[in-house]
Amino acid sequence: MADITHKTDEQLIVEKHIANLHNGFAHWPRAEEAPPALGDSRWTQDLILATWLMAETGKPPENGLEYKIGASGGGFDVLDFNIPSEDQWLPADTEIDLSIPLNRRDDGAQLKINIPMYGGGMSYGSISEHVMQARARAAQHLGTFTSTGEGGYPPSLVPYKDHIITQVATGMFGVREETIQYAPIVEFKYAQGAKPGLGGHLLGDKATDVVAAMRESVPWVSLFSPFPFHSVYSVEDHRKHVDWIRTTNPRALVSVKVSTPTDVDMVAVGSYFAGAHIVHLDGSYGGTGAAPEIAKKNIAMPIEFAIPKVHKYLVSENVREEVTLMASGGVRTAYDVAKAIALGADGCVMGTAELIAIGCTRCSNCERGRGCPFGLTTTDPLLQQLMPADWGQQRIVNMYNAYAIQLRDLLRKLGLKSIRELRGRRDLLKYVG
Amino acid sequence: MPEHREAPAGYHRYHIPTKPAPDIEKWPSRFKVKVRRTGLAKLLLSEVLHYRGRKDVILSRPCMYGVFSGPVGGFMPREEHCVGCLRCTTEFPEFVRIEHNPERQKLGDSYFTFNYVDQIAYEASSGLVPVRGAGYRGKFGGEGWDGMWTDMSEIVRPTRDGIHGRETISTVVDIGFTPNFLQFDAAGQPTGSLPHYVSVQLPILFDGGDLPGNSPAAHIYARTAAELDTLAVLPFEHAIGLGEYAHAVVPVVRPHDAPRLSQLGFTPRVVEMHGWDDALYTAIAAAFPEAIIALRTGFEDAAALVGYAQRGIKVFHLLADFHGRSPDGRFVLDLIRESHTAFVEAGIREEVTLLGSGGMIAAEHMPKAMICGLDAVAVDTPLLVALQARFNGECAGRTASHFSFPTNLNQAWGVQRLKNLAASWRDQLLEILGAMGLREVRRLRGEMGRAMFMKSLEADAFAGLLGYTEAK
Repeated sequence: MADITHKTDEQLIVEKHIANLHNGFAHWPRAEEAPPALGDSRWTQDLILATWLMAETGKPPENGLEYKIGASGGGFDVLDFNIPSEDQWLPADTEIDLSIPLNRRDDGAQLKINIPMYGGGMSYGSISEHVMQARARAAQHLGTFTSTGEGGYPPSLVPYKDHIITQVATGMFGVREETIQYAPIVEFKYAQGAKPGLGGHLLGDKATDVVAAMRESVPWVSLFSPFPFHSVYSVEDHRKHVDWIRTTNPRALVSVKVSTPTDVDMVAVGSYFAGAHIVHLDGSYGGTGAAPEIAKKNIAMPIEFAIPKVHKYLVSENVREEVTLMASGGVRTAYDVAKAIALGADGCVMGTAELIAIGCTRCSNCERGRGCPFGLTTTDPLLQQLMPADWGQQRIVNMYNAYAIQLRDLLRKLGLKSIRELRGRRDLLKYVG
Repeated sequence: MPEHREAPAGYHRYHIPTKPAPDIEKWPSRFKVKVRRTGLAKLLLSEVLHYRGRKDVILSRPCMYGVFSGPVGGFMPREEHCVGCLRCTTEFPEFVRIEHNPERQKLGDSYFTFNYVDQIAYEASSGLVPVRGAGYRGKFGGEGWDGMWTDMSEIVRPTRDGIHGRETISTVVDIGFTPNFLQFDAAGQPTGSLPHYVSVQLPILFDGGDLPGNSPAAHIYARTAAELDTLAVLPFEHAIGLGEYAHAVVPVVRPHDAPRLSQLGFTPRVVEMHGWDDALYTAIAAAFPEAIIALRTGFEDAAALVGYAQRGIKVFHLLADFHGRSPDGRFVLDLIRESHTAFVEAGIREEVTLLGSGGMIAAEHMPKAMICGLDAVAVDTPLLVALQARFNGECAGRTASHFSFPTNLNQAWGVQRLKNLAASWRDQLLEILGAMGLREVRRLRGEMGRAMFMKSLEADAFAGLLGYTEAK
């Protein structure tokens, strides 16, 4: 029996629940029956459990869990790959390259990432510092990036700064000279898919003293970021933003995160001509933080429709090879990533999948009271201990390793040696709706 | 405030006062919490031994919401507190099981599903905009309202301040007649038709036009509409005796009501005529010469509607059934577009007002219906759900459907529930308008360029893919 006499009650409580939770995350993907109340149309029981299993093992599930698609009845869920006959597959030992460049222009650092994915912005306050650390360490391990979100740049992330994107959003929380200078990539968040046309929401219960201090705001007061940028009325104004970043950090790449309105193609081209290296489209079905329900479903188009629209327009404007197009907002699986790329993206930005890897059940209670009961989207001092950063880091790394295995396997069957060859290959997709 | 910026006398910024109005009838909980007692007893025993009696550690349970905080903890879970986070079943898969409550899922009917019921219940009890984390959870798209998205403006927008500027967005709509042009005589005096309309603060009217004679809801609708500065459409027999809410009550007059029009006791601002009837129209016009006469009718042949306009009707209250269908099965979204387009093509859309009811059961349906062409939505079944009425079986037909109200339904509670619902829907409308950068809801009417439809988006995105045919 472990010696418990030298431990405080709080330590014991945290240890007890961590052990129980880890037991559950291992148990349920292998159980004969899934938890009946788990899952929804987009993230089905199988997708959640498969993600837990991949986060544990680093491999795709082999126990029959459906890990490729959900049950939403549209978008990625009605697309599949048109796999050629086996004699056209590449040999099993073929090296498949999953890296993509993030800078296709002549200026700035020539950054590339080892997998065609990086982590999306989730702000300090909306998620715990432990989660931020786990994501940052995982990004470092994988040779990719993660984003601060708009809630500031906790000092504990500085050791991983070469893998952290500094987000500049309309609230300008934590945007300081040094956080711009740290950043290999600066991301302007003009809009976000979960609540297009609305600013970020951090409800009062989560604006604790430390969160408020980071954001230079008042504790326990809800923070609704303005929308849009008060300094941007046009593409020309956006250009001024880019110049401002370049003045502060000449080597930083500039990413522009936008939502998916009907003129998203124009927005993307305008962003490119204003100097963006990365255009990041955030479709309407994603999001990890608090958002009005009406905004999630009803405003702006799903990412599956926005990607080909933007890709085609960039091609027609003859600038497609000079800009990196990243997609997010409802990209849940390795197969979603591959489909997004086949539709025209260069890579994807992941959010919810990473949270599920570290224990999210998508119960949607992130903003309620103390926040997430699993310790993820919370700033509660006790709750956030339920997700230790080192455990979370390994889970996220494992999930991406499992994704990489799937992507390499798919590319090999499609006869492609690089993920870059998949971009825009609509001919490899089929509609199965 | 500088003197020159003082508000005009009598001006007040429109605001709907909300306050919590919890359910008066206990509905089934959202989740069933099943705990195997032997498993829990074994756990407790083992923890007592392991933690050597350290009570706080032993009694630390996985639920933050109080499900296991009753006098006997997990032995008698308090299901009404369960939010479905699943932490308990994750921690204790061997003996805790969380299920959706099938009794809860029976609320509503096949169209007004329990998810909509849940949403309305939250809005009516709190007055708040439903806000949740973790993204969208539903189907990708689908038929009807689910196959339609509204647009947003990425950077260039007049409201500028997002949530902080929403108080400057107007939700006022006009109901009545406005001529395409004003004409003046040589002396500069207006001649010909003059505008004749009433303005209401919300594009949300209360439609109780099909309430049965003994419904307790009528008085609640009237009083709430009066307090919100909107209109309540009520059967003539209900309207009699509601003179204290005269400016808000719209009596629905059927042919059998004609002989007793004088019994109403007040002069309504708007009267609805139930179906076109020459004699009834003449009788209403004679009895209430100042009133705007609206035609309450189904989404019939659009050309016929234009014909009624030429015979003097300038306000149309168009009805689908409670499931949003016309008798031939078409959905209300398409019906609204057809009607709107018919008036546009006849060149008189600006002269008439189109109200609609049926199948618009969520806040998002309101702006979508307006984009399709309505001036305002006359809400029906959501009001009943806000008052915790239960559906007795399928409730599609306007007169064949039966709803049971709570036995302890009272007026003060009912009024607050409807106010809360209206406040929540109005705030959600502001979210949509703010995202688009629109300063007033009247701009939304017929703005089809601000909508995206699944069929066309899918065709643009997937045309040419193996297996895709546009007909799908």
